[in-house]
Amino acid sequence: MQLHYQSQAVAKPYFIAAIALFVGQILFGLILGLQYVIGDFLFPAIPFNVARMVHTNLLIVWLLFGFMGAAYYLVPEETETELHSPLLAHLLFWIFLVAGALTVVGYLTVPYATLAEMTGNELLATMGREFLEQPLPTKLGIVVVALAFLYNIGMTILKGRKTAIGMILLMGLVGLAVFFLFAFYNPSNLVRDKYFWWWVVHLWVEGVWELILGAILGFVLLKITGVDREVIEKWLYVIITLTLVSGFIGTGHHYYWIGTPGYWQWWGGIFSALEPLPFFAMTVFCFNMVNRRRRQHPNKAATLWALGTGVMAFLGAGVWGFLHTLAPINYYTHGTQITAAHGHMAFYGAYVMVVLTIISYAMPILRGREANPERAQVLEMWSFWLMTVSMVFITLFLTAAGILQVWLQRIIPNPQPFMQVQNQLTMFYWMRWLAGVVFLIGLTVYIYSFFARDRPQTAEAREGQTATA
Amino acid sequence: MPASPEPSPIGDASPPGQGLAIAAESLYLVNLLLLPGLGFLLLLWLYFRHRKDAPPLARVHVWQTVSASLWAGALLVLANLLIVALGGYQAAWTWVVVILYFTTAHTTLVVLGILGLARALAGQPCRYPVIGKLLP
Repeated sequence: MQLHYQSQAVAKPYFIAAIALFVGQILFGLILGLQYVIGDFLFPAIPFNVARMVHTNLLIVWLLFGFMGAAYYLVPEETETELHSPLLAHLLFWIFLVAGALTVVGYLTVPYATLAEMTGNELLATMGREFLEQPLPTKLGIVVVALAFLYNIGMTILKGRKTAIGMILLMGLVGLAVFFLFAFYNPSNLVRDKYFWWWVVHLWVEGVWELILGAILGFVLLKITGVDREVIEKWLYVIITLTLVSGFIGTGHHYYWIGTPGYWQWWGGIFSALEPLPFFAMTVFCFNMVNRRRRQHPNKAATLWALGTGVMAFLGAGVWGFLHTLAPINYYTHGTQITAAHGHMAFYGAYVMVVLTIISYAMPILRGREANPERAQVLEMWSFWLMTVSMVFITLFLTAAGILQVWLQRIIPNPQPFMQVQNQLTMFYWMRWLAGVVFLIGLTVYIYSFFARDRPQTAEAREGQTATA
Repeated sequence: MPASPEPSPIGDASPPGQGLAIAAESLYLVNLLLLPGLGFLLLLWLYFRHRKDAPPLARVHVWQTVSASLWAGALLVLANLLIVALGGYQAAWTWVVVILYFTTAHTTLVVLGILGLARALAGQPCRYPVIGKLLP
């Protein structure tokens, strides 16, 4: 099978890099999981704070690689024109990859304070904040890559067909770039700092990234179900409206108890209670489209990933987010393992799975076939279940740990100190780690599925069937 | 997960009873998510009003949702009361079990409702596993 547009091929290295970095993220997750129960595991080679930084930064970077790959794949098809500059896309890939790799090497080999000194943090202090730990040159690199990427995608959309999917994707990508600029604003007042820090973190994952998610999901469902574009576009309008209405003011649920005015408890509570709605609509959308499909696409694995994205995003972002989003509940749960439970399932359900959905759909085509061989798809579906079920268990164990933590640390008449409580959560941390090992096994199966071929007799039987047909 | 027989591509015309099927699935979800009790009463009203004259598609969805709502009441209210009664109100582990159980049971019921609603929107029948009545 040929690509519709040759420039779509630039997506391939982005997807490969994304998967490679995903492996790194999970390995560091397992190291962290062990450090929760064996405090000095790999110390001083990899301290906990460094492992955590690498784990979360790799997640963000590989998802960005996935989004960029997705954009390079779907935009030419949506706009019905070749990419404005495939060369620029290739160049940006290498710049982003080298910058990302150097940053991780910096985290692992140089003490963080020294890294800050070496990279000019005194010129414009931006480091030292959760998820935004990157040195200044890396942050500037991200801005350059994002702007050049937007130029490339924007010019392609400008010269080609304008569709709702393309425009929603572009809106999401512009938002991603714009809100990242707040990473450079680091006021000395801690409350003000946290206030704007959330403009990057929250407005990414509960705002503009959801637009990117909707666009990618809409594109894949359009291709695999054959449902009319108009139907998919109407659903997307509903989802995007719900996202923007609930997500932006819903930022307020991060403003409880950090020194901001009390009215945020109302604004945050009301609007973030609405935040499950777009995910609810997304799940109905996915299943409705598959139920109404007009064609049987041979790529069953991609269909499974798309359906899984709807369900798991609703569970992780919607349900587990709602669990602790109301101010009176958050008063007790703020910053406990319940937050970690929500974070894990929401990131996996919404963003990891949507990137794996587009990879599952696009990679076979990028490799010259409509769908992978049957055995490869079976393995891929096994990996889907292994990773998804283990993530459900990671979430449940962390939730259990969080409930116990809240009780011991904040409810009982004589609350216990943090570390004393942590000691009593060890059983849950061990179970979480074991679930993480199963996740890694699932990821290994996933990667192996790219190299799996049908057994000779299966392939012959299929060829025979094709010949008969 | 609702039974998913091979999809029958649907045309533009809605099959008879689709509106009622969508209403039933929506009320099931309203009962779980927005107005517990009131949503169920409205669903019961729908059931008694249309139990004899509903087209087959609507009948399946209405029966399924009434049956699933009754199960939901037992699974969410009675089971949790039992856990609290057995474990004690002041025990940490009671709350670990109650919150985990309630969240997973409630979420599972909601997801089943979402899948049912998606099938109703597509004009297709649906059967909830275990808690749904068998298809006629």
